Amino acid sequence: METLKSIVEVTWFIILVAVGVAALVGYLYSHFKFYARSWFFPAVLAVFPALALAVFGGLLGGYTFQLWLYFLLAEAAIAAFFRFLVKGRHTVPYLMLAPAFVGLALLLVYPFVFEVYLSFHDLKLTTIMMWKNTGTLPFVGITQYIKVFTTSPLSEVTFWALLLRTLVWTFTNVFFHVVGGFILALMLNNHIKFKGIYRTLLVIPWAMPQVVAVLAMRGEFHAQYGFVNIFLVKLVHHLPFLASLGVGPVQWVSDYPLITCTLINIWLGIPFMMVVILGGLQSISSSYYDAADIDGASYFQKLRYITLPLVRPVMMPAVTLGTVWTFNNINVIYLVTGQSGGTEQADILVSALYKAAFTYNRYSYSAAFAIIVFAMLFFFSVFYLKSFDAAKDER
Amino acid sequence: MATVQFKKIVKKFGDNLVLNGVDVDIKDHEFVVIVGPSGCGKTTLLRMLAGLEEVTDGEIFIDNLLVNELHPSKREIAMVFQDYALYPHMTVEENMNFALRLRKMPKAEIRARVTEAANILQLNKFLKRMPKQLSGGQRQRVAIGRAIVRKPKVFLFDEPLSNLDAKLREEMRVEIAKLYPRLNATILYVTHDQVEAMTLAGRIVIMNHGIVQQVGSPIEVYRKPCNLFVAGFIGSPTMNFLTGKLSVADGVSVFSNESVTLPIPAFVLPQKEALEGREVVLGVRPDDVLVEHPGGEKLSCKMDGVLEVCELLGHRENLYLKVGGQRLLATVEAFFNRSPGSAVSLCFNYQNMHVFDKATGQRISE
Ligand SMILES: Nc1ncnc2c1ncn2[C@@H]1O[C@H](COP(=O)(O)OP(=O)(O)OP(=O)(O)O)[C@@H](O)[C@H]1O
Ligand SMILES: [Mg+2]
Repeated sequence: METLKSIVEVTWFIILVAVGVAALVGYLYSHFKFYARSWFFPAVLAVFPALALAVFGGLLGGYTFQLWLYFLLAEAAIAAFFRFLVKGRHTVPYLMLAPAFVGLALLLVYPFVFEVYLSFHDLKLTTIMMWKNTGTLPFVGITQYIKVFTTSPLSEVTFWALLLRTLVWTFTNVFFHVVGGFILALMLNNHIKFKGIYRTLLVIPWAMPQVVAVLAMRGEFHAQYGFVNIFLVKLVHHLPFLASLGVGPVQWVSDYPLITCTLINIWLGIPFMMVVILGGLQSISSSYYDAADIDGASYFQKLRYITLPLVRPVMMPAVTLGTVWTFNNINVIYLVTGQSGGTEQADILVSALYKAAFTYNRYSYSAAFAIIVFAMLFFFSVFYLKSFDAAKDER
Repeated sequence: MATVQFKKIVKKFGDNLVLNGVDVDIKDHEFVVIVGPSGCGKTTLLRMLAGLEEVTDGEIFIDNLLVNELHPSKREIAMVFQDYALYPHMTVEENMNFALRLRKMPKAEIRARVTEAANILQLNKFLKRMPKQLSGGQRQRVAIGRAIVRKPKVFLFDEPLSNLDAKLREEMRVEIAKLYPRLNATILYVTHDQVEAMTLAGRIVIMNHGIVQQVGSPIEVYRKPCNLFVAGFIGSPTMNFLTGKLSVADGVSVFSNESVTLPIPAFVLPQKEALEGREVVLGVRPDDVLVEHPGGEKLSCKMDGVLEVCELLGHRENLYLKVGGQRLLATVEAFFNRSPGSAVSLCFNYQNMHVFDKATGQRISE
């Protein structure tokens, strides 16, 4: 009954929003001629989100008036900026982007600025009351940054060991994502029956909420009831010589936490690469393969000289993204090993960071830590994409 | 260096019959042009010879060797694709020597062959460039160069000039004509441009709906088209067709429809084909419609027509005429100084008159 009620409520809410959007669009259409007026877009874009926020704020209660005012001011400033400073035919596109920029500013810029602030101060369990009462924190300069490299975020593992582990983790994962994705994409790119079904099935791990997928997979690695161990037991039963090679059921989560996490994350990450590479493969004109056939290239030569170079342009950004995601992937590691009594054997930088902040309550230290992780990824991405651009300019 | 034979080639894509019994014999060192309207199966035929498309039925021989099941690279052919298919990530040089590199040919030999081909095609300056840094005509030359370096027995060209503008197409046509004796190979050239066909071909194969309509030298297919399709397809502007009935009186056959009545002399239509009441189509090329001509031997009697439109092409002029209800196109020397609407007299040149059976479309005249 309760569930039904909440479903109905959610449905109502969605319908309400849809009606609102429809009304807005209808209004815009019925006043089509206003599109041409220079004040129309600034006005609409400044007023409507603010109004919406005000209405929702009013409905939700709380200190929303202030927020509403800030929002309105921001909108007005942006509207004025686009109305008076941005000239020419780019006005409208910028205006359309303006609400998104405001959202981004609220969600990204403010937290980032606050994080930088934190990293130069000292917020931890002992100073948090002081911060709450006075609103100020002791300034400590770059001490926190030094601590990142000299002290450990966890109880056992040092920063450098974590960094090495993270690099190994990232490299292994991305490597198998790309290889697995490539093989699957090559297979799907053939003329096979039920291609759509296979593709859908293969994309499921990626399309599912990661938490659900990871928890389900953790269950499969359970020492006693998990699929993996049951499979290994049966395998050894039928092929006894494998036992002499050391194959057998193991305590996955407690004895090999990092390997377990890696296996799960590989499974999770392959579909994305597969979809991207498949897109790349399908955009390669078949006449190159015809030409290569006539030139006498074998299957692997075609793969090496035609397919690989031609999917590179779509693969490079995907690899960059995949690297950043894997480097930052806290979900898998935290969900598999992060529970109480969990181990630190599988922690990578970000999961250690999470624990430092929310288990050990070292907020400023974590802020500095996060900025360092950010800097590493930032330079990696810039370097990688630059080298990609350079490679592209060559041709 | 090679003969090519197609024997009763049939090709189906699913239920779609694309080629229906193609039989063509190509001699060593011949330049054969395959023409036909779009979608008639020219590319398919070429791709089957190259081994890129499976043969549904029939046999293909290269140098008397059955190649139906042979891998494309083993057939010693080279193909220039309609869209060139230059590898976009390789330089011109790499594009040209790709096949040779795959064969692990010695470096010096590769370089020699590429240089030779580049000299022939004037590509030396572009060897280090990427295909996208070339103009359409240059890309086309690279595509030909890629074919040349392999020294194949048979060259296949699939509408190589169709992506070029009219002027460049003309230039490249001459280039290809000059190239032919140097290539020392058999050439199959697909086009739907009949000017290319007429100028380049040693022999023309005219196809329609997956069937070979006629095979012959350019002059043969122009002078003696064997059916209505060939007559209408070859020659520009298109031949005039007059549909009507034959009647035979005193051994003289007479063609007539509502607008035109015309005796057909025996040297045009042999007696045995001249049957009373036979439905026929007369074909007369615009050049053989003589306007305001003093008359003479082997010309038909004069008819009265009306000038509808004049088109000046430069040294020639197209006249759109109407004789009764029958529209006719005549091509005459410029300038034909008459205004549209004026009456003109015209006659046909019997020497180049074609008569086709209406029901079968086959040529029945000499
Ligand atoms: N892969 C294919 N699958 C199904 N039908 C095809 C395929 N390739 C070609 N066809 C069909 O075969 C027929 C002949 O095609 P083809 O490409 O040989 O024509 P073409 O003579 O080269 O025409 P164009 O002058 O336009 O290049 C067309 O009707 C086309 O629709
Ligand atoms: Mg074609």
